[in-house]
Formats: sequence, C-alpha cells, structure tokens
Amino acid sequence: MLSELDKAIIGLISRDIPLTKKPFKDLANKLGIDERILIGRIKSFKAGGLMRKFSASLNHRKIGFRYNAMVVWNVPDRSVREAGNIMASYESVSHCYERRRAPEWDYNLYSMIHGRTKSECIEAVRGISKKIGCNDYRILFSSKEYKKTGVKY
Amino acid sequence: MRIRTEDWLTKDMLNSLDKRILNRLQNDTPFVERPWETIARDLGITENLLIKRITFFKKNGIIRRISAIFSPRKINFISTLVAVKTAPGSIGRVAKKINSYSEVTHNYRRTGEYDLWFTLVARNKKRITEILRRLKKDKNIEKLSEFPVVKLFKIDVKFRV
Repeated sequence: MLSELDKAIIGLISRDIPLTKKPFKDLANKLGIDERILIGRIKSFKAGGLMRKFSASLNHRKIGFRYNAMVVWNVPDRSVREAGNIMASYESVSHCYERRRAPEWDYNLYSMIHGRTKSECIEAVRGISKKIGCNDYRILFSSKEYKKTGVKY
Repeated sequence: MRIRTEDWLTKDMLNSLDKRILNRLQNDTPFVERPWETIARDLGITENLLIKRITFFKKNGIIRRISAIFSPRKINFISTLVAVKTAPGSIGRVAKKINSYSEVTHNYRRTGEYDLWFTLVARNKKRITEILRRLKKDKNIEKLSEFPVVKLFKIDVKFRV
C-alpha cells in the first residue's frame, strides 16, 4: 500500500521537475519534507520497480525519428510468449504487449517501432516477421499526434 | 509549402555535445542533491552549461519533460488501449473530445479502419468504463474497441541521438 506521502511524491515527480541546481530540495520544500527523505523514497520506488525510470522524454519527431508504426500481429496463442520476447529484443521496438483479441480485430501482439524513415520501419517489421515466422500482421503508421503527455497521477 | 518547425530541428543540427547530453538524459537522473552537477561532471562540462543546454532543448520542444515514469499497474492504476473509427470529417473534433480527459496520455491518428488510437491511464476500471461509455454516445464515433493488456513484454523508449 502506498502512503499519502508516497502518493503526493508520485504526483509531483511525474511532472516536469524544476531545472534548478537543487531540484529535489525544491520539490521537498513543496511537500514540506526533508530533501533526504524525498531522495530516499525515490530510490525505493526505483528499487521496488514501481518507478521505471526518471529521465528526459524527448520529442522523437524533433530528433529525426519521424515515423512511428504500431504493428499488430496475429500470432498463434501458444507461441505468443516466444514471439513477444523476440520482438522485445529489437532496439527499434520501444513497446511490446500481448493484448486481448477483438471479434473484428483478430490480433494479439502489438509492437511500436520508431524509425527515421518509413522504409526503416518496414525493414524492421520484415525482419521480425521472418524471425518469428508470422506473416499475418498490419503496420499502422501514425499520421498525426493529437496528444502525448505524461500520466497525471 | 509551409515549413513546419519540426523540419528545422533535425538531428543534424545538434552538435556532438548536444547529442551526448540527450543520450545521457534518457537514462536515470542521479538521485543526489545536485543531479545536473553530477551529469555535467560525467560529460566534462560545467553545471551551468548543462542547465543552459537543457533550457534550450525544452524551449525548442526537443525535451518534453524530465520526470519520473511509473509503472501504472504497480501503483494500482489501470491502463488500456482504445481504437475508434470516426465519422468522415469529424476526426479533429473527436480527437479534441478524447483529449479533454486528463486520463488520456497518447492519442494518434493512424492508417486503417480505426483512425484514432489512444491510451488511457486511470485510477480504476470503473473510471475507464465510464469514459468509454460517454465516448460511445458521440455520434461521430462509429465504432469503439478496447484492447486491454494481457502481458507486457517491453517498454523502453529511448532514442539514440
């Protein structure tokens, strides 16, 4: 169970932190706690796996990764774990999930692929397709970003 | 043709120090009193210069934010992926309506029969059901499907600049 303090910390550090010399001190002041306590809680979130990372989120389009493809795969259920692990090993794959199939959308594996060019994405997908032996997939390129933000806890 | 800001700021316009900074900042911030000083020392630059460059990257939108990223499930939140098919000519309006929920974290237009794909992170299942129930009432949403996670294999968003 998370304490009220932990919840307040999570809410605060999930948002952009101040670019001051002592950002944790400034955040701790906001919470009315000691800086060392805040840093201790952050370290324990990380150690416990609650916090995945504490880092900069870049706008991928602005650094040259203009194409992002969501690839949906129909993999036999018995080999979904193996296929998912293989996909996860590719550097170009940022996200990979098994998801529930839907009646008119018979896909169970989803991977997000980023590339500098469209063909770079397609090449990566072909490579994965060959490796996992699955040709039943669709590449859904994004044509517009309507929203991309951090979670507001 | 209109030139978008995005076309100006490409990877090639960043110098080698900028690239090193951006690559480093995509890893964990040190959990110390003066994190920028620690990073600056590793990069062989001053704390002030690092802060100046980060300010520039933020101003130009290259860095969206520096923040903690939690695993929603592990702090008792629920996340899901939703796809909708919008009525012809209504996508902008529908996207705006979807975005008005603070629980919506990503929303992309994509090719295919479902033209909008968005992710939701909410306090509980009930809230997700409630948001989807309200959206389904929108006449411009012709079809809505939810694809909850069965198993997570990877999340690691990192771009080698």
